Amino acid sequence: MLDEAAPRQSFTDKHRKVLLGLLAVAIFLAAWQAVFLVVPFNKLFVSKPDLIWDALVKLIASGDLIRDLAISAVPFVYGFGAAVVVGVALGIVMGWRERVSYALDPIMTIFYASPLVALAPLVIVFFGVGVSGKAIIIFVLSVFPFIFNAQAGVRAVDRLLINVVRSMGGTERDLYLKVIVPSVLPYIVAGARIAVGRGLIGILVGEFFAASEGIGYAIARFGDLFALDRMFACIFAIMVIAVVLTEGIRWAERAAFPWRAGQ
Amino acid sequence: MGGARGVPVAGRTMTDARALETGVAPAADPGAPGRSLWHRLEPTILGTTSIVVLLVVWELLPRLITVSAGTKLFFTTPSQIAGTLWRLFATGSIWTPLGVSASGFALGLSLSIVVGLPLGVLIGRSRTLNAMLDPFITAFNATPRLVFLPLLMLWFGLGLEMKVVIVFIGALFPILINTYEGVRNADKTLINVVRSFGASEWDIARLVVVPNAMPYIVAGLRLAIGRAVLGVVVAEFFGSESGLGVMMVQAAGRYQVDVVFSGLIVFAVLSLAMTAMVQVLESRLTRWRPQRAGEE
Repeated sequence: MLDEAAPRQSFTDKHRKVLLGLLAVAIFLAAWQAVFLVVPFNKLFVSKPDLIWDALVKLIASGDLIRDLAISAVPFVYGFGAAVVVGVALGIVMGWRERVSYALDPIMTIFYASPLVALAPLVIVFFGVGVSGKAIIIFVLSVFPFIFNAQAGVRAVDRLLINVVRSMGGTERDLYLKVIVPSVLPYIVAGARIAVGRGLIGILVGEFFAASEGIGYAIARFGDLFALDRMFACIFAIMVIAVVLTEGIRWAERAAFPWRAGQ
Repeated sequence: MGGARGVPVAGRTMTDARALETGVAPAADPGAPGRSLWHRLEPTILGTTSIVVLLVVWELLPRLITVSAGTKLFFTTPSQIAGTLWRLFATGSIWTPLGVSASGFALGLSLSIVVGLPLGVLIGRSRTLNAMLDPFITAFNATPRLVFLPLLMLWFGLGLEMKVVIVFIGALFPILINTYEGVRNADKTLINVVRSFGASEWDIARLVVVPNAMPYIVAGLRLAIGRAVLGVVVAEFFGSESGLGVMMVQAAGRYQVDVVFSGLIVFAVLSLAMTAMVQVLESRLTRWRPQRAGEE
């Protein structure tokens, strides 16, 4: 089963990987379901795949799940959107102007090293339990990947290419469209992939703390109600969303910037 | 394909560079030799100045503009924070919560190393195992572990176990995935040589694969530390009886903003110190390594 030679992967090889993965998931679910044939089942403490599936179907059919997700999506969109705009702008300036980066690097490092989630209670107390408080938490958590990656992207722009474009009589516009944007964008997208995960943490933190609706609130409430099947269904929904977002961005990276696929 | 999974390269470099370079900016050498003193010190001076300016403005803010009584409740100044921090340490009231948090952190992180390292080596060496575990690793790595918190509270209660588990889940994946990447990148020739001399799979892991993967593992460890600290904070915010995070939440509820910031600073200093320790460890462990450029 060792693959020292690592020959180029044929189609069947890739297929094999997917099949093995599906098999493992199937085994896991079957084992989970089967274990309660032996172990006494206590639905206040654990759940089973079939019950979770029923709960999920019910939650979707009644529209509760969709409604909770839609409610949580609003602060996410605001916070994440602001993080993109502010983070990319700041990162580009820091990458382009050496002095700015000298001045801001230490502060950013300090902020990034601090567990900023710790400010969440303060933010909630200050801005209330509405959309704005959550959006701010999400913004604070997801802005740093954009700053650092945009900065790294600008630093990585090949000066030679800039000079070539200039020598050939290219305009500023050519410079931006043909050199700078193509080389910075992959970094920003890579940053977005990290930021998505942190943004999701932001939603959950905000809603666990103080909310009356939303997916994080739903999970916490079902937990309090010992409704484990419904809680697992919501957890599963979050997992699916997280995987779709992260892997979706990864797929987009590979499709849009194939020259970076090796990384 | 495996190379693209999990801890992304850009993210890793980001974290690596950030966690350690406090102060001196990386691009300090373009102005190389014959530059003046000012040019050499410029990054440090500018960096320090900006921090000082930030602190001074923050300190003077309530004196320059009149804040309403309501806002004053939420406001604190650096001098107040410093005073509170001093008081917390001087009276010793911080040690108990800090100890509780630290034990959750240490146990969870150790557990994630004990599990993550061997598992990373295994999935790096066996393609079947990798294919089978891949869906789980991808799913759990992408999902914020916070969603499991209510469940873990039900299962493990509000004590140390819950904290250890949440730290463990968070710290496991950076270590696991980085070990895997490092193992995948091991020199095939070296493996073949060792095997030709009759080495077992255990010998290969011990002699070639793990030493080679060390830089990856250490990078993973750094990420894991950050996540572990976050795990402690989050676990204590939502479901714990004691700890630094609990102290902070209670303080926020009482509008003791200075205490919240003090806790934040303690957490930040701890995670910076841990990261610095890992860096020392890394240079110890990789001292035998020849210069990168001279390799091959």
